[in-house]
This record gives sequence, structure tokens and C-alpha cells, in this order.
Amino acid sequence: MNKFFLLLFTRLRLIFKYFTPGEHKLPRITFFIILLLFISGGYYTFFRIFKYLTTVEMIGPAVMARTLEMVLFVFFIMLLFSNIISSFSTFYNNQELNFLFSLPVFPTTIYLAKLFENALYASWATMAMAIPLFVAYGVCNKAGLIFYPVSFLSFLIFLIIPAGISSIIIFIIVRLFPKLKPKNIIFIALIFILLLVFLYIKIGNPELLRIFETENEKELLNFVVRLTTVGGSYVPSTWVSNILQNFALRNNDGIFYLLLLFSVALSIVLLAYNLAQIIYHKSFLEVAEHSDKTSTKKSLLAQYQTNSTFAFLWKDILLFVREPTQWVQLAIFIILLVIYIFSLRRTPLFFSFSLWNVIISFANFAYVSFVIATLGVRFIFPAMSLEKKGVWLIASSPFTLTKMIMIKYLFYLIIGIALMEYLLIVANLFIKTAPVIFNFSLLISFFVAISLISINLGIGCIFPQFNEDNPSKIASGSGGIIAALISIAYIGIVIIIFAAPVHNFLLSFYFKKPTNIRLIAMSFVLFAILNFATIFLPIKFGIRAMERRDF
Amino acid sequence: MNALVISNLSKSFNGIWAVKNLSLELRQGEIFVLLGPNGAGKTTTLKLIAGLLHPDTGQISINGIDIKKEPVKYKSLLGYVPDEPFIYNKLTGREFINFVAGIFNVKKEEYEKRLPELLKRFEIGDWIDAPSETYSHGMKQKVIMCQLLIHNPMFVLIDEPLVGLDPKISKNVRETFTELADQGKTLLVSTHTLSFAQQIAHRIGIINKGELKFVGTPEELAQITGRKDIEEIYLKITEEH
Repeated sequence: MNKFFLLLFTRLRLIFKYFTPGEHKLPRITFFIILLLFISGGYYTFFRIFKYLTTVEMIGPAVMARTLEMVLFVFFIMLLFSNIISSFSTFYNNQELNFLFSLPVFPTTIYLAKLFENALYASWATMAMAIPLFVAYGVCNKAGLIFYPVSFLSFLIFLIIPAGISSIIIFIIVRLFPKLKPKNIIFIALIFILLLVFLYIKIGNPELLRIFETENEKELLNFVVRLTTVGGSYVPSTWVSNILQNFALRNNDGIFYLLLLFSVALSIVLLAYNLAQIIYHKSFLEVAEHSDKTSTKKSLLAQYQTNSTFAFLWKDILLFVREPTQWVQLAIFIILLVIYIFSLRRTPLFFSFSLWNVIISFANFAYVSFVIATLGVRFIFPAMSLEKKGVWLIASSPFTLTKMIMIKYLFYLIIGIALMEYLLIVANLFIKTAPVIFNFSLLISFFVAISLISINLGIGCIFPQFNEDNPSKIASGSGGIIAALISIAYIGIVIIIFAAPVHNFLLSFYFKKPTNIRLIAMSFVLFAILNFATIFLPIKFGIRAMERRDF
Repeated sequence: MNALVISNLSKSFNGIWAVKNLSLELRQGEIFVLLGPNGAGKTTTLKLIAGLLHPDTGQISINGIDIKKEPVKYKSLLGYVPDEPFIYNKLTGREFINFVAGIFNVKKEEYEKRLPELLKRFEIGDWIDAPSETYSHGMKQKVIMCQLLIHNPMFVLIDEPLVGLDPKISKNVRETFTELADQGKTLLVSTHTLSFAQQIAHRIGIINKGELKFVGTPEELAQITGRKDIEEIYLKITEEH
């Protein structure tokens, strides 16, 4: 057991350094202040939502309970995916493992240390979102002091379940197909998880995801009230939700769900531990043996590009398609987006009134902006860091760093703008948005996409992490958090700028109130000033930071 | 004509001089070997010449082209290999060489002529189409030598060229360097392998604590120190300073 703690604490020290890299001279205290601000911002947002819901009779507590359960369900799915993606590299495809397996340490000890490491890497961002959610929920429901430690404890136990399940799935797939390439192993595991989620939704038919189609406001209200009673679900997120609700309301049922959660988490870890005892070391050796057998057949992709710009772009494309952690995550994003867009077709009829239509399309614009920001942090922010030690080649060649940044910028611009406009066009067609709002959102989103790409690429140049290989880890480092916060703040400011003119439009269009041209003009001027700063400054400072850098 | 001119070059890190007031001139077609103990400033000097570090003071030019005034033109003449060269793990050796040739704008005919010659010279064989993450250290070094020569640089800058190479390929590298010098190209090589320096160097520079202590031909150095063996000369100079 001492060896387990030695391995774990060594890793924790490294993880602490990774979250607060000294590489870009960002003081650690600054990083923690930024994280605290992020958590405080999250708390404020959840607090405002829950506080409002507590004032709405009957429907408020029901919607609050359902929101909590829905968020926890999304957390659970996200955790399953993120654990699966990082599991293979943590348990098999890792330089450190060669060293660890050469030590007089049991494979099960290595497994346990790696399980907690994997859970921490894959879950810390979810944890940062869960803390403000729980605190806000507790405060708004006037929960007792016991609520807070119990909620955090239950969430920690909850995090172990997807980590354990992912390790079991990866062990079984690797044992069954040891000769598969890493990307195929991750792909099969993800398909398996998707299948489980699909079966749960299709066969389990959970109350959680039902949409009630009615034009009658009273019927809708009755439906929402029924949602307060959930129960009977086999998903751990429901148990956590029940623990929180029961402890907040000082109901003893919470203890049952806490024990249920703990016993299931323990059973999964024990099952995975026993599996690791039987197959981990053997399958590790098989994977290592297979990785030594290399194909030396000339790839069709090994084409010579005589133009330096194309040569650089071609290199980036090859690296992207050969890195499963990159395209698998992009594939998940796209699947989720398609589900989201098509779910708009199922918007309850109640919302098809003109007033709701404008509100939903404006909310959709905010959501799509948020999606682009997330993609930006995950894929564009790490772009410069991934050049890492290869920068010696660029910096000592006639291919300038400025040119490299600008090529990446233009490449991401084309993809980013196309994706954002496509999402908005399809979503607005499904919602049947009014033409004025339709065109307005397309115009604004064009500049929003450019700004978000500039922010993420620029900050990626200012705070690169050249010592890290994994793009997910680069994105979740301190620089990535700064990029995420600035992106979210930017979207927030854009929404604030246009909230008043959209409100004015609604009043004038549906209630025949006078149009405030001055307000609309002012909003566009403010938007132009904001975008001038967010488009030019990050790229300018990013290029300057790269050019001044010693490699 | 001097191929490389360095004057009063200095670089410090956190107030400690890594290179101090270094001046050096290299002739066209010359092989200049830079020797020095660990931390003497060899790698910093090479990185400054390659444009990977910004000097605190001093000027650097190749064939009269100043690195600050015309960086693109300057770097198009340069071929550089660092002490720990990195190859993108997910690219094959061929794809990596393609990429380098591309960013140096090598014409397709030249590329198609040079690549088979280089693959044969460094005995890379089918490994050129294997992912570089599967390469041994020696194989990586061979691919790095190919990428260096694919764009036919006028000035070659190499930090520790022999690490991980077997004796046969080391001999190939020595012969390649001599051929390049015979073609009028200039080479600045940093190494710890003293016998290699003795075999190929037209002139040797010994650097210690960021300062160039001696510059001369192997014969001149032997004369000054009164010793014939380069190892003895090296130890005597670095111990004295």
C-alpha cells in the first residue's frame, strides 16, 4: 500500500506542476486566483438561476431538481467519454509504464495509482463546474452544514465510477484485440459507450429526457410538476442528484443513495482490480510487443508539397488524422452537435409562438458561440504548443514564425466560420426564425467566430506549453483556462450588447412600440469596438510573444 | 570571402553569461569544430547563429547577410541540427523530410534527385516509411541528417552530430562533411567527440564559460600547448581557464 501512495503522490506533484506550469512565468497564485474567479462566476450564475427558481411556485423546485439531475447526467456522459479517451494512454501507451513495470511493484498497485491519476486528469474540469453548482444549490435551498461535505464526498465517489468502468472496457478490448492500433481501441470503446447511452435512452426511456408536446400552458405546468419524482434510475448521476436533494431537504433517504453510490463505486473498483490482477501486465506486454512491429509500406499520404504553405498545412493535417485523441474528440463534438441541432426540430410547440421563437434563436446563437469557443479552447489553443520542440526547425528556416501563425489562423478561420454559420443556418431553419433575426445572427456570428479563433490562437501563442504532448492536457492547463475565460467573457459581453436591441426589436415588432434606432446603432458601434480589440490584439500579442521568445 | 562573421556576440540567462563577447570569422569551405566542456556555451552559440535565441549584443551574418536585417534570406542559406533534434512522432521519415524540403521551397526535380541519394548514403532503407515514433536514436539521427542535406544549405550548423550513430554511419557522416566542404560549403560543428574533431576540423575553437579561449588549426593548438594528442590539448586548455 505504501508503494501505491508513493506512486500516487509522485504523480500528484507532477500534476500540480502541470496545472501551474512555470514555463510561461505565470505566477501560480495568479492561476489559482483565475480559477477562483471562474468558480465564483459559476457560483453566481447557478445561484441566480436557482434563486429565481425558488421564487416560482410549484414549477420552480421541479425545474431546479430536473436541472440538477440533467447537469449531473451530462457530467456522467462527459466523464465516461473523457475517461475512455485518456484510459488507453494512461494504462498502456505511456513511457512511464516501462519504468514502473521494471520496478518491484505489483501490477495492481500500478493500476490503482494510474486509475486515480486517470480519474483526476479526466475529471478535474467537471469538478470545477460541480463545486459552484453544489454550493449554489445548497445555499438556495438553505441546506444544513452537513450538505456540503456530503455533496463533495458523493461527487468524489461518483468520479471513480466512470474511471473504473472505462478501465474495465479498455482492459477487455485490449485483451480481446491486442494487435489493434490505439486509435481503433479507443474507437471501439467509444462506440461501446455510445451504444450503452443509446440503449439507456431507447430502452430505459428515462423521464429525464422526455419532451412533452403541448400548446397548453397548464398542461405543460402539470408535466413539469410531475418531474419532481424521479427515482428508479440505474444511472449514478441520479443517485448523486437524490443525495443532494435529500440532504438539502434534511431527508434521511439521502443516506441510502450515498451507500448505494459508495457500494457500486467500490464494486466497480474491486472488479477492475481483479481484472487488472489477471490481465493487466500480460496485456501491457502484448501491446508493447505489437507496437515494435512496424509497417514500412510507403503511405499514400507521403506526398511532397513544393509550396511551403501547403507543406506546412499538409503536416498539420497528417498529424491531426494520426492522433486519435484529436479526431475522436472532434467526432464526439460533431455527434453531440448533430443531436442538438436535430433536437431543435422537436422544440415543444408551446415555444413556437413568435416571442419565444426570437428568444430561442437568440439563445441558440449564444449556445453556438459557446460551442465554437469550446472547440477553440480544445483544438485551436493547443495548436502552437503542439509545434513544441519542432519549432527549432521553423525558427531556423526561411519559413517565419509569423507566417506559421497566420497560416494556422487562416486555416482555423475558414473552418470556424463555416462551422458556425452552418450551425446557425440549420438551427434557424429548424426554429423557423424571423428573417431579421436570422440575418442578424449570421452577420454577428461571422465576427464572433473570427474573434473566438483570434483569442484562442493568440493566447495559445502567449502561453504555450511546449513540454506537453497531449492536446487535451494543454487545453486544460492554466493558459487554456485563461483562453476559456476570455472567450466566455467575450460571448457574455456580446450577449449583453445585443440583449437590449433584441428586446427593443421584440417590443416594436410584436407590440408595435417605437424602434430605438439610437440603441441599435450604439450596440453595433460597441460590438465593432469590442471586435477590433478581440480580433487584432490577441493575434498581434501572440505573434510578438512568439517572435520575442528564445527557443 | 568569409562565410560567417560573428562580432561581439553575448547572451545571458538570468544575469549569467552563457556567451560573452564572442567574435569569430569562418571562411567559405571551412569545417570549424567547436569544443568545450558541458555548459561552456557551445549550444547557446549555435542557437544564436541559427536564430533560435535573441542575442543581448552583437551581430551575425552569413555571406554578408545580417540575421536581423534579412532573416528570411539569412535562414534560407542555413541548415541546422540541434543537440536533441525532434521529429514529429506521427510522421514517417519520408513525410518529415518532405515537410522540411517544402518549407525550404526545394524544387521537385532537386528533391527527387537528392532524396534517393541521401537514403542510400545513410542506409535508411524501408525505415523511411515507418512512423518516426518507432525509430531508434540512431535512425532518428540518420533522418535528421537527410533533412539537413535535402535543401542543400550553404552553411551547416550541427550540434553533436555523432550521438547514437554506429561506426559505419559515423564514417559516412565524416565523409559527407568533407565532401560538403570540398563543394564550398561551410560547417560549424559542436562536439564532445575529440577524435572526430581531429579527423575533420580545418580549425578548432575551444570555448569555456562562454568565452572563446583558443582558435586555430589542430597543428597550431598542438604547438601552443606543446602536446600532440587533442585530448591532452583540450584538457590542458579547459583546466587552465
